[in-house]
Amino acid sequence: MGDEAVVRVENVSVRYNKQLVVDQVSLEVARGSVYALLGRNGAGKSSLMRCLLGLQKPTSGRVLVFGEDVWTHRARLLARAAYVPETSDAPGTLRVRDVVAFHQSMYPTWDQASVKARLGRVGVSEAAMVSALSKGQRALFTLALALGSKPELLVLDDPTLGLDVVARNDFFSDFIGELADRGTTVILTTHDLAGVEGIADRVGILQGSRLALDEDVEQMKIDRGQSLEQIFTELTRGAGGLS
Amino acid sequence: MTPPKADPWMNRIQVLPADPRPIWSQIEEGLRRLLASGSLAPGDTVPSVRELATELRVNPATVSKAYQRLVGAGLMEVRRGDGTYVSAAPPAVRKSEQTRVIRQAAMNFASVAITHGAELDTAREALDLAWDELSNSEGGNR
Repeated sequence: MGDEAVVRVENVSVRYNKQLVVDQVSLEVARGSVYALLGRNGAGKSSLMRCLLGLQKPTSGRVLVFGEDVWTHRARLLARAAYVPETSDAPGTLRVRDVVAFHQSMYPTWDQASVKARLGRVGVSEAAMVSALSKGQRALFTLALALGSKPELLVLDDPTLGLDVVARNDFFSDFIGELADRGTTVILTTHDLAGVEGIADRVGILQGSRLALDEDVEQMKIDRGQSLEQIFTELTRGAGGLS
Repeated sequence: MTPPKADPWMNRIQVLPADPRPIWSQIEEGLRRLLASGSLAPGDTVPSVRELATELRVNPATVSKAYQRLVGAGLMEVRRGDGTYVSAAPPAVRKSEQTRVIRQAAMNFASVAITHGAELDTAREALDLAWDELSNSEGGNR
């Protein structure tokens, strides 16, 4: 109680057979803040995200969500969270309204009016087949579904991957609206450094299975006099290029 | 009075991710610039935190921080339930405070100029140019 960290990753390591993919990572996501987890492919982002969602048990260490171990209390804790996967898993053979109705039946906190309003605002027709949505619309639809349960914690896995500039801008606008309305706590992974720089409060960079950086974005710029992109490039370039 | 609708805020306030300055400070400076040039006049409304955040694609908390600083400096005021406005009267600043702020800003400017190997003359010229640009672009929108 009174704990300001919504997510607390404590010394998490993940090992597959002999390969260590996440090495002693600790980080915290404060209530109402936006944490961006960056790293090149293979840096351990996905494994860490799976641990965070209680889908995978860390080899050692633990992840606390709302102060409790997410592996042992997954169902209860994740009812207060929502997940936006990289690619939507909504079945293409259903209509938008059917998928919405299915989600509505699962969440007691479901806010149907706001979901309808959101879909209308972003131009996703409830009568459309999911398979007929464009990539950008599909991303907005997935976000609308995730926000429908009024989550306290929103977890996004590279939500703008593969979207063009217009679709990416639409996605971020919608997402920013949510931050403005409810100040939801957010953790996201992304490749979109420019997109995330204005949005993230704090950024972590995974490099070679370790958390090579974990800092407040604005403070980091002041201290280092560099943009996030410069810092990211320096940290993740080549082997052992840390100075 | 109010700027033409055709001129979106993202053209009037530049937020560059590549800029090493924090984004709230880029927004604050952008607004100060619009105020200094008269392009934002007393009584004009400024967009809501949400509107500006959406348009500039930044975290609303960042815009809010820039607004708080400008409200704190007396340059903008919040009217409850009615939005944020450019203050009617420029805040009365004590002379000593004015001197302190300007000296500090000059120190920043000088250190940038020196680290880029500029001569004093070149730096003065740049200041003159910036001064002219702000005083001449009265209400000017490109």
